[in-house]
Amino acid sequence: MSNSPYIIEMRHITKVFGTNRANDDITLQLKKGEIHALLGENGAGKSTLMSILFGLYDPDEGEIYKNGEKVTIKDPNDATALGIGMVHQHFKLVECFSVLDNIILGEEDTRMGFLQKKTARAKVRELSDKYGLYVDPDAIIEDITVGMQQRTEILKMLYRDNEILIFDEPTAVLTPQEIDELMQIMKNLAAEGKSILFITHKLNEIMEVADRCSVLRKGKYIGTVNVAETTKEDLSEMMVGHSVKFAVDKAPAKPAEPVLELRNLCVRSRSSHKNAVNDVSFTVHAGEIVCIAGIDGNGQTELGYAITGLEKADSGSIIMCGEDITKKNVRYRCEHGMSHIPEDRHKHGLILDFSLQENMVLRRYLEPEFQKNGFIRFKEVREYAEKLTEEFDVRSSAGVDSTARSMSGGNQQKAVVARELDHDHKLLVAIQPTRGLDVGAIEFIHSEIVKKRDAGAAILLISLELDEIMSLSDRILVMYEGEIVGHLDPKTTDVKEMGLYMAGAKRDTVKEEG
Amino acid sequence: MNMSGFMKKEGVKSVISSVLCILAGVLLGFIIMVLLALFNDRTSIGDAVKGLGILLAGPFSSGNAAYIVTNVGDMIFYSTPLIMTGLSVAIAYKTGLFNIGAAGQFYMGTLAALMIALNADTNGSPAMGFLVWLAALLTAMLAGMIWGAIPGFFKAVFNVNEVIVCIMTNWISANIVTWIFTNTPDLINRSAGKSGYLITTAVTGNGTPKLGLDQVFKGSYIDMGILVAIALAIVIYVILTKTTFGYELRACGSNKYGARCAGMNEKRNIIVSMAIAGGLAAIGGALYYLNPGIELKFDTAYSQLPSYGFNGIPVALLGSNNPIAVIFVGIFIRFLSLGGDHLTSAGYNKYISDIIVALIIYFAGFSMFFKGFITKLARKKEKAAEEAAKAAVQKPSVEGEKTGAKADEAAPEKALTEGKEAETK
Repeated sequence: MSNSPYIIEMRHITKVFGTNRANDDITLQLKKGEIHALLGENGAGKSTLMSILFGLYDPDEGEIYKNGEKVTIKDPNDATALGIGMVHQHFKLVECFSVLDNIILGEEDTRMGFLQKKTARAKVRELSDKYGLYVDPDAIIEDITVGMQQRTEILKMLYRDNEILIFDEPTAVLTPQEIDELMQIMKNLAAEGKSILFITHKLNEIMEVADRCSVLRKGKYIGTVNVAETTKEDLSEMMVGHSVKFAVDKAPAKPAEPVLELRNLCVRSRSSHKNAVNDVSFTVHAGEIVCIAGIDGNGQTELGYAITGLEKADSGSIIMCGEDITKKNVRYRCEHGMSHIPEDRHKHGLILDFSLQENMVLRRYLEPEFQKNGFIRFKEVREYAEKLTEEFDVRSSAGVDSTARSMSGGNQQKAVVARELDHDHKLLVAIQPTRGLDVGAIEFIHSEIVKKRDAGAAILLISLELDEIMSLSDRILVMYEGEIVGHLDPKTTDVKEMGLYMAGAKRDTVKEEG
Repeated sequence: MNMSGFMKKEGVKSVISSVLCILAGVLLGFIIMVLLALFNDRTSIGDAVKGLGILLAGPFSSGNAAYIVTNVGDMIFYSTPLIMTGLSVAIAYKTGLFNIGAAGQFYMGTLAALMIALNADTNGSPAMGFLVWLAALLTAMLAGMIWGAIPGFFKAVFNVNEVIVCIMTNWISANIVTWIFTNTPDLINRSAGKSGYLITTAVTGNGTPKLGLDQVFKGSYIDMGILVAIALAIVIYVILTKTTFGYELRACGSNKYGARCAGMNEKRNIIVSMAIAGGLAAIGGALYYLNPGIELKFDTAYSQLPSYGFNGIPVALLGSNNPIAVIFVGIFIRFLSLGGDHLTSAGYNKYISDIIVALIIYFAGFSMFFKGFITKLARKKEKAAEEAAKAAVQKPSVEGEKTGAKADEAAPEKALTEGKEAETK
């Protein structure tokens, strides 16, 4: 052992992709037994830095030291050999294998070609007891909750005796209760001497568990602070470069006439015989923001499809501005006052091979402003796209001529939001509108949505981000297994209560009054 | 702009990759000729070199000036149906569909055109002849549109893979054509024809007008069909790039979910796109058989599909599905075939030349692969240049390379998958 205080040190790391300096002279020092948060906006270079540590990329410059000794990490096998493990944002599990099989995958004991699971099982049991990671080793991955799957991933690292654990945005997929449990698990791990790198952009979590925090901005190293000596405001300023307001400024809602009414809407599930959306009724009025909260996969996607017309409702009706639009197609709904920020920008929001300007008129190309006798008015399209990209600060390498595919995820999302918010529409259906955006852009889009509301639009927001729901909504509907199980007021509820509804632990039988 | 910047332009990349395909095909063809020369007493290495020369000279490989003129005229005439089926495949491809049914649509166009042009005798009245010719052409287009819409309908409504339906409609059309021409003498005038062959428009006087082109290219089949093909290619190009309709077609082809979310009727667009593709292929058939010199051998039609239908696929691929490029590629493929026909003078038989031409066409499928290769090459050069600049100035320069190195990041991967697709097809 050397006398270096750091178990892992990344010194002066630089990584360049084309013209983009994803990491520019970054130094990161991880002490043994600490929880070290890595904070930064999207595109700040967090993932690149971690990919370098995990051996997925070669750094162009810089060195990595472990316990004061220089090491080279060429691929993930090297990383594993050095005791570095990573829980990826999207889990790397074999869905149809059991928990135990997933944990030992790649590290199996065999005797004469036959699997020997007995010792492995004992070791897994021992590890779960030691760190409070309860899982059923024989459960099949596809049957267990996301939280359990994440624990399986953590056990995978521990099973390999990793001592440096990287968590890549681990809380994005969890309920508030599961987040609490994860925080506790991380503290346990650190107490047992594991060193943790925690990638996130959620400041609350950093304040809760991290010992120190390193901040990156646009590929550059900004600084490292002791969490105990800092505040959320300071951290966010370091991250964004200017001060950020957390609460959304908004006046109380003044709900007016109903704009969107759902009556006993049912949508059949594609994968099971159950209804993905089951007997859902609610009303959204002009001048209010109604949020649908829920854990991913509880029917929000199907609800969004049905309202926007991407899929047919099986029964029930959808009424917009007093007109039954249940059987109308997407274009009719769009032309009669519905804007839609889709959940999946790659699949629904953009034509990735089209240029930015072509994407900007995707819903309006038939309007006389942009076409004459069926011929596209290229000049107008360009001017309009330039105006929108300017207003919404959409950045791309070649302006409005860039292909959408070449743009970063955050800018793609901004382009979609810009396009949809520019309509003067009565109804905005926004599904995860700030997905993949950084704090500054989120703030901007939230204020634009509030502006829309104040201008008299009805807004239905479907989101998985609890902070977003709490700060933006005027009313909250919680969806669980395809049904609306709770009708909450953001002023009187809190994240904990919402979490109980989201997890199905609590439900109201009272139907909402339109 | 430096060299690597030039090489990053989409159009330039397409052209270079197409040329590379051709060179790779020719090289492999040459290797085969050399190998054959080595294992065959009647030919030598010298013959292989001579063969290569003939192949590259195309219609000019004949020594006789009069023959060359005729050959060039024929090259243009025979390239007309290729251009049409190439356009057919290209426009379907832009909508994300693989139109392997061009052969069947070609046949349906032939059938419709000949049923009109061979039954109406207008000898002696050029004006009437022209009107009947026009009617035949338009009817052919209509027939092809209906025939092409069938796979489009099945794809759009029942999500049946268009390739399967296209193959079935191909054989159905081959059988319909044979049945009508052999068993229904009332429907078709074949009184004075050779046994097994139909009469031609030379007999009825409804052939495609020559517009004096036969005077320029004496002794060849050439007629105004090529002008029709070029005009249609330009029309298709304008539709695809300048109109809202083309915008919709491309959007559906690129991402049908996104198109649907934007309010486009992607099902209708699939059917319309296939109908247009069918119409184009059918016009190809009509323009070919409406020529007074071309006879249709109907009694074996059921056992073989016209190769023009399938050769449209490499024409479209080699032209990167660009309607304007398809014109040149269509002519070029005929150029090669003509050279191949003359290979016999170097001691290679006709079948060898077919293999070599096929190899070149086969390499067309790799054009996307070469495109990815060029992208990589350009980036490598750029990196080297950057490093050199760095070494010289001791300071990284990032000037003049903002043109979108990232934009092409996905290209090599895409090229690989598309190359594979083409291979399996």
